[in-house]
Amino acid sequence: MWNKKGSHLLIIVEILASFLVLFGVTSLIVYNLQNYREPIGFEYKNRWSLGFDSRGEADSTVGDIMQQIKSRVLSYPQVEAATMFSNNIPFTMNSSNGDVTNNKATTLAQQFRTDLDMPRTLGVSVLEGRWFDKSDELPDARTLVINTPLKKALFGDEPALGKKIAFGGVDDKRKSADYFTIVGIVGNFKPRGEYQENLPGLFQMNKGPDRNYTRSMLLKVKPGTDAGFEAKLTRDLGLLTKGWPIEVSYLENQRTNQHNIALVPVIIFLIVSGFLLINVALGLFGVLNVSIAKRRGEIGLRRALGATERRISRQFVGEMWVLATFALVLGLLLAGQFPLLNVFNLKSSVYLTAIGVSVAVIYLLVTLCALFPSRQAATVQPAVALHAE
Amino acid sequence: MIALKNIEKVYRTSTIETLALTNINLTVRAGEFLSIMGPSGCGKSTLLNLMGLLDAPSTGQVEIGGQPVTQYRDVDLARLRNQKIGFIFQSFHLINDLSVLDNVEIPLLYRKGDETGPSRRELARQALEKVGLSNRMKHFPSQLSGGQKQRVAIARAIVGQPAIILADEPTGNLDSAMGNEIMSILQQLNADGSTIVMVTHDESMAKRTHRLVRLFDGAMVGDSLLMVNEGR
Repeated sequence: MWNKKGSHLLIIVEILASFLVLFGVTSLIVYNLQNYREPIGFEYKNRWSLGFDSRGEADSTVGDIMQQIKSRVLSYPQVEAATMFSNNIPFTMNSSNGDVTNNKATTLAQQFRTDLDMPRTLGVSVLEGRWFDKSDELPDARTLVINTPLKKALFGDEPALGKKIAFGGVDDKRKSADYFTIVGIVGNFKPRGEYQENLPGLFQMNKGPDRNYTRSMLLKVKPGTDAGFEAKLTRDLGLLTKGWPIEVSYLENQRTNQHNIALVPVIIFLIVSGFLLINVALGLFGVLNVSIAKRRGEIGLRRALGATERRISRQFVGEMWVLATFALVLGLLLAGQFPLLNVFNLKSSVYLTAIGVSVAVIYLLVTLCALFPSRQAATVQPAVALHAE
Repeated sequence: MIALKNIEKVYRTSTIETLALTNINLTVRAGEFLSIMGPSGCGKSTLLNLMGLLDAPSTGQVEIGGQPVTQYRDVDLARLRNQKIGFIFQSFHLINDLSVLDNVEIPLLYRKGDETGPSRRELARQALEKVGLSNRMKHFPSQLSGGQKQRVAIARAIVGQPAIILADEPTGNLDSAMGNEIMSILQQLNADGSTIVMVTHDESMAKRTHRLVRLFDGAMVGDSLLMVNEGR
């Protein structure tokens, strides 16, 4: 067995290639699964988003008009709560982010601008401190609410409440007026759904001139609120805004779309790698079938000398495991670089889990490929198998 | 030691039925050196395969050590082959990728016992010493002559100290000098207590055994005790 270097090299290369493909796909799946297990941090059922296009309206008046819209919306019995929200509303492709620092560490954080009613509208819980209140609406109040990942990134296990952070990097020059005080900490906030990584994020109060750039609103509606209300709402708000186009979306539907965006590449990779693995399995099966058929004489001899059918199967499976181990050692040298070099900024646990799963799948694959032909060969009467040589 | 009772062996394909052995009744006693002769295709090797539990009879019963084994499971047959029977084949059946020592060690790998790796290798060394090949242990079969290969096969057959040795034309692929050498080793093993059954085409080799069974067209046509001729 061990002198057949050429054919073994081929099998080793085949197993190595399968391992690497499997490792890539499994990393993607593990990454998405790990993300999925982290709650998104807000409610999306019976939540609608309203997007407005202010067209030619002067920016200076948009903030006031949006406030009128919010008041009107809250007057409907179907609406339980409403909040202004920056354009990066949940489950859209819009994003707004930038570096934030506490002068010791810097991290990229998603930035959301909203108002006092966001926790009630989206069912967000404040874990430490408080959400914004009227005092934060004063022009000189510079406060922020951050989420748990941002707290961990900047402060680790240290308390963050009352600490000051600023936009930009550690070495940027800034005045004391550039800093914001952390007044509250919420849990996760994953605006792109369950499959998004739990990224650092912060919330700013929607006030002052910034109000004029906010053209989105989120509503919490009563269960069962239907398209009839949607039509009435858009008609009424159209009159109020003098014809601004309005886009109403249901967050539940938007979430499904986001999931599709996250899952479709995974499914495509899965199908491609599935076909590849099937090909590899067929190839291994074929190679082993031929190799075992060539060794029927040896099988007969071993049976004559006292090997049971099971022992013969175990021998071939064992030989394949040795070859697989050679391939996997090479594969691990390559795959091991991913967690060591922190490739794609993914957690080490993603790569380590993917390595574990891939190794298990490869061993399972070679076991199945070796088991059937070796069992078939081992069940032949020893006299017949000996005659084959 | 070995008893065959009313044995019949038929090989069947979808269209052809070939009667290989019929009405075989034969008892091999402990310590006997029995040879089987007959023309090609008369069923000699088939008979040896049945004695060695390498094949199952179509009808009849095989007994080893007084125990009927026809209904034994694979695992029991494998254990019997491993512990009680040693095989020597005309074409040696050595595994070319394994060294001489590794080849000889094979039966011990399948033995459930106290033998550890080093003790297995020691037993294999001793078996090779018995056949005069202790200086070839690390060679591969391709580096050996036919006679040497057959001596390795004998060492493999005796390494587990089986009570029975079955030899299928052990001198068939060897010249007469090598054949005589192998025959002497077999005679010595028999003198040491092994029961040996040997299939041969060579009348002179058969004459060096205790008993000669003749087969013709699958039937036993002769069973005679011989005056042992030690000559070459």
